[in-house]
Amino acid sequence: MIEILESVFAVISSAILIYFFLINTFYFLFIILSLFGTFHYRNITTYLSFKDIFQLPLVKPISVIAPAYNEEKAIISSVKSLLSLEYPLYEVVVVNDGSTDSTLEKLIEAFHLIKTSRVFRKAVESKPVRGIYTSPEHSNLIVVDKINGGSKADAMNAGLNVSRYPLFCAVDSDSLLEKDALLKVVRPFLEDPERTVAAGGIIRLSNGCSVKGSQVTHVELPKNFLARFQIIEYLRAFLGGRIGMGMMRSILIISGAFGLFRKDIALQCGGYRSNAIGEDLDLILRMRRHLHEKKIPFRVRFIPDPICWTEAPESLSSLAKQRNRWHRGLIEALVYSHKMFFNPRYGITGMFAFPFYALFEMLGPLIEVTGYIIFTTLLIIGKINYPFALIFFLLAVVMGSLISLLAVLLEEYSARNYAKLRDILILSLFGLLENILFRQFLTFVRVKAYYDYFTGKKAWGSLEKKGFAEAGQHTK
Amino acid sequence: MSLPLIVAAYSLLFLLLFSLSLFLFIVVRRIIVQSQAKTFERHYQDVERSILEVVSSLRPELANEVAQKYEAYPDILVKVLLDYANIITGQARELLQVIFNLALREKCLRDLSSKRMVRRLKVIRLFVLFSNPSEYSHLLGLLQDKPIVKLTAISALAQVPTPETLSYIFQAFEQDQGPLVRSYFNIMFGLGNRIEFLIRQYLKKPLSGEKLGLLIELVGAVRLRSLYEDIVVFSGHADKEIRISVARALGKLLIPESVPALAALSADQAWEVRAQAVKGLGNLKKPETLGLITEALFSTSWHVRLNAGHALANMGEEGIKRLKEIAVQNMDRYARDMANMVLDDLIYSGEAA
Repeated sequence: MIEILESVFAVISSAILIYFFLINTFYFLFIILSLFGTFHYRNITTYLSFKDIFQLPLVKPISVIAPAYNEEKAIISSVKSLLSLEYPLYEVVVVNDGSTDSTLEKLIEAFHLIKTSRVFRKAVESKPVRGIYTSPEHSNLIVVDKINGGSKADAMNAGLNVSRYPLFCAVDSDSLLEKDALLKVVRPFLEDPERTVAAGGIIRLSNGCSVKGSQVTHVELPKNFLARFQIIEYLRAFLGGRIGMGMMRSILIISGAFGLFRKDIALQCGGYRSNAIGEDLDLILRMRRHLHEKKIPFRVRFIPDPICWTEAPESLSSLAKQRNRWHRGLIEALVYSHKMFFNPRYGITGMFAFPFYALFEMLGPLIEVTGYIIFTTLLIIGKINYPFALIFFLLAVVMGSLISLLAVLLEEYSARNYAKLRDILILSLFGLLENILFRQFLTFVRVKAYYDYFTGKKAWGSLEKKGFAEAGQHTK
Repeated sequence: MSLPLIVAAYSLLFLLLFSLSLFLFIVVRRIIVQSQAKTFERHYQDVERSILEVVSSLRPELANEVAQKYEAYPDILVKVLLDYANIITGQARELLQVIFNLALREKCLRDLSSKRMVRRLKVIRLFVLFSNPSEYSHLLGLLQDKPIVKLTAISALAQVPTPETLSYIFQAFEQDQGPLVRSYFNIMFGLGNRIEFLIRQYLKKPLSGEKLGLLIELVGAVRLRSLYEDIVVFSGHADKEIRISVARALGKLLIPESVPALAALSADQAWEVRAQAVKGLGNLKKPETLGLITEALFSTSWHVRLNAGHALANMGEEGIKRLKEIAVQNMDRYARDMANMVLDDLIYSGEAA
């Protein structure tokens, strides 16, 4: 019996080793591509003034849609940040998604909102709208009050219906955008208006930063360890992953915290799917599917420059809820669009991007936990190859740290937001420490997401938000 | 020791060394970059001080001294010159040119034909700002360069709008097939009515629909009223996008004679054209167009109704009167809702005022 078990484990272990080799090769490849992409972009933007080239009057107007649910702490600063964006023509559509706190009341008070009889085309389904408010002082601000639809997707659809412009920017209501973020992220749409359907930018974490006038003025590392781990994670994901995948035309996620889309294409796909948990991934997948099926050439672009700042959870429970939702969203979106899997009809999306996300991002936690189970079982039955196990563990840690270090290098070459050398040293250290316990914690959270997915859990859950004044930040 | 173990051990060793080297590289690079930045800042302040002394004293011999002293710091000199290029004018600007000619001109010319794109990009603007217009021919080669270099060259040429440079810009516009064609619009817009004669000339050429549309949009954006006759001929063009551009441009030109053209466009088969035409009619505020605009408020297209509503609001008392009538009728609830929305907007903006 033990021999059979050993044989089975040997086969599985070999498969896990191959998997480990493949996944790290891909991550390494993406990050190397990202390095080239960053150099190229940095060279160009150093000598090109966006304001010189892409100013009035020929710009595409943008609707910035910001869903809000129980965001009373951060909503005012967030909306002020959106209203102060440097862009010639845009509107801000805040969707109050049936908040049970005083989000709407705060908005009404701060911006002197008045209920109007504004008419709109209901191009996509959403829960009923209770009222639309405008501000006499900010003619480009619209607040939509609607019945809660249970998801951000439903709120986004309401925003899409009310919005007027051909491009829409999906943002989180608790995010802060840099003033010229729109100016930079619209660039692909101006350069290649026919093919560009979506563009995304970099999301940075505002924990530990100084915020003044709804803008992040000074960047520092937070004291909270969890936030520090997440910073290195975001650097890897955005600077390392997205840029590289963009160069391989394989971006499947434009973050819902900051992304620009063509409204006509989104509406052709039926807008956001109301019961989608990961609405950002789901929208891009369905847009890609639609465009491939119609044989319409398209591009999804990622700009390493624009900055959106958001708050990372600083407690384990909030972090677990957030990652659980992300992984459920990933599973749900990939299952929904499963027909793209290794389907040549869908080009590089079907043959590379989708399988990559399915096999590595989605199944990765399961395979990792399988490895832990095998290891533990072999340990119990006394059949563990200690030297190999130790070396493999160290290899995994070093490989993970290497990729994190490459992400830190990318940060150095791109924005270089962390002015102090000490911050870079801390980030490097946390890139190493991340592989011990933090990563495992997230793996188990993601595995639990499978259980929640199969038991039909749909809820977003609430995240503890401190607002920009408190979360290890300094507000002047 | 088994083979997999050996491979794993060597892999670990290699990765460990590589990671360590990378870490050291990051740290050392950061230290060097920070040190260089401090040095750059210090030198920049020195150069800036010297140049300000030159422009305030207006002594050519001082300009020669500064050029010789800082010839070894071309990057810093370039940055200072670019920073002050648009601020300093007149005789003082000529002294900056002296510094450029003595310390940077030769390097500039070499860099313009450098194989490295970054070098070419870096000197374009400096070259255009400080060299003699007769030397702009050196930039012609860049108009066949990569799109981003070409655009930078054109953008730099637009800073010095002589008939020659304008001609280069339009030639490049005509020849460009790339995705940056739309960028020319913004550059040309900045040139204002200087480009009137060139637009007239290029409207007669067999350009692509996109370029033609851009030129027509420019006429409206820059308010080149004398080009009305040149663009109104395109109001019957087969390409819908060009008709949209014509409607938009006519709406901005505010020429009373354009009412018949706009009225015709307001009956176009494409809703986008109708919407722009109705908006344009509202801008003109001609009483005889009230009927047309009112009719447009009952259009099946939401955008046409929206523009018609705002156009009526624009027409003043008579237009608002019509809006109020439509706001209470029961024949068409969509028109009624739109009229109510526009009236609401008027009330709130009136309160704000």
